[in-house]
Amino acid sequence: MIGSRIVKTVARTALVAYALISLYPFLWMLSGAFKTREEILRSGNLIPDAPTLDTLLTTWSRLHFFDYFLNSLQVTGLTVAGVLVVYSLASYAFAVLDFPGRKALFWFFVSLLFVPGITVLLPVVILEKNLGILGSHLGLVLPFVNGTAPLTVLLLTNGFSGIPRELREAARADGAREFRIFWSVYLPLARPTLITVAVLTAVPTWNEYVLTRVSLNDPSLYTLPLGLETLLSGNVPHYNEVMAASLIIVIPVIALFLLLQRYFVNGLVGAVKG
Amino acid sequence: MSTLTTEDRAGRLPAEPPGRGRGRGRSRWGRWLTGWAFVLPAVALFLLMGVYTIGTGLALSLAKWNGLTPEWIWVGFQNYLDLLYADPVLAPELRRAAWNTLQVMVAVPALTVAISLPLAVALNSVRRLRGLLRSVYFLPYVTTGIAVYYAWRYVLEPDGAINVLLGSVGLGSLSQPQGFLGNPDTALPTLIVVLVWSSVPVATLLYLSGLQAIDPNVIEAAHIDGASPRQVLRRIVWPLLTPLTAAIVLLGVRDALHGFQIFLIMTNGGPGGHTDVLGLQVYRLSFMKELAQTLGMASALGWMLFAGALLLTLVNARLLRRIR
Repeated sequence: MIGSRIVKTVARTALVAYALISLYPFLWMLSGAFKTREEILRSGNLIPDAPTLDTLLTTWSRLHFFDYFLNSLQVTGLTVAGVLVVYSLASYAFAVLDFPGRKALFWFFVSLLFVPGITVLLPVVILEKNLGILGSHLGLVLPFVNGTAPLTVLLLTNGFSGIPRELREAARADGAREFRIFWSVYLPLARPTLITVAVLTAVPTWNEYVLTRVSLNDPSLYTLPLGLETLLSGNVPHYNEVMAASLIIVIPVIALFLLLQRYFVNGLVGAVKG
Repeated sequence: MSTLTTEDRAGRLPAEPPGRGRGRGRSRWGRWLTGWAFVLPAVALFLLMGVYTIGTGLALSLAKWNGLTPEWIWVGFQNYLDLLYADPVLAPELRRAAWNTLQVMVAVPALTVAISLPLAVALNSVRRLRGLLRSVYFLPYVTTGIAVYYAWRYVLEPDGAINVLLGSVGLGSLSQPQGFLGNPDTALPTLIVVLVWSSVPVATLLYLSGLQAIDPNVIEAAHIDGASPRQVLRRIVWPLLTPLTAAIVLLGVRDALHGFQIFLIMTNGGPGGHTDVLGLQVYRLSFMKELAQTLGMASALGWMLFAGALLLTLVNARLLRRIR
């Protein structure tokens, strides 16, 4: 009895301790974002002595983070839209239609999972230079969409396969054509999977740094991660502004996660466990 | 994410050709065309972005090029040989990067499992706050990226929060006056800690889902038979979770082979190459060598990483099958 109580206490202490470790950098991010330039150099207190909103406001407007935010929104939005359109069509075909090459094509897309991003990074840049889209937002969106193919096809094909075939036969008997069945029967029923795919695409796209870094040259097209980088590449970094910018990046993601938590969880568990 | 179980998925694809169109008398060709029309956008995008890039990448790995001259100089497998041993400057650099990568590859999955399994067991044992804690634990995953890495840089600075914290709890001797990332001895271990911090969320989530899928009757029966909690954990829970452990280890190993973002952002390989990893080498050979003819080598190294990951996945799948 006493033994189990000790075990419980230890377990709870560990849980709380790890929660603090999980939150640790976020606490300092929050703290730094509300400090002035003087205080961030002077004081190591977690709670700012004189909390100020100025740092966030400066970062948002004078340091152009509003513009970067809009750019990020555009790139992420287009990527998510592209992924949903292109791969819901393809996955529908893999799940319910009958045509030669169906299985081979499905496996082909899934096996692309093995090609590391870093291996094709340079060829993508060379290709886009030749196509003349390097440095544009389109030049980011196309490889981002293509890069999600394996996981998305896997998740969506699974989702569509789980929808009872009788529904399709019934719609067919009522005279619905294939696209109509896809649009009015399958898409609405697969909504949870579609949302899962959307969030699992949106978050890494929002945070993407490497391809964006080597593609974009024009600061007016910068996304948030690149904007953040410019703050730290100067001679004297002002960490209060760096933390304010970081906060601007993570808040939308955290909000999205808190709103749609179960889709994240289902998606990740589904992706790994099959 | 799901390399382990892709073969299980074959079963999910309907094995039989879907039922023939009833009543509407559609021809076979009609059905085929419909199918192809649905996959066309995905295939077209892949033909544009995928075929060319993979093809160019493979070809480029057999050539020397600096990205500007019109001509490639074909050198066969020389790039691969240069990387492995022939180039007197690059090969040793690469060996060091490989050694660092190997340390990350071993340490990160091991520590991730060691932390997330107990965490998931503890989380599974509490009822109150489970949802809240799970959300908190998950934050490092959804925010992975430059913002969080900069926050870590900020707390790891010479006069950053971690040094102050160590000083205030009487562990000042452990603090790093040059900053944890500035000291060659602590830089790599520090990055490993941050990597573990970012990979614990998914691992904990997977373990938690695995624990919740275990039939409570099995555990109950073991208790009745007189098994101690530790025996239950070792003899029943751990074996049942083995596939998940394998998945977590595989994910960690692949991330270690391919991932370099955190190294690029937090240290860029420094101080003095102490945190250089293979992915970062590919990046540098691709984009940081100005006019030197290193693009072919970048490609060659990229494909070696691809082969490495493939090999590890196959070994892992084989091991897993044996365990099952």
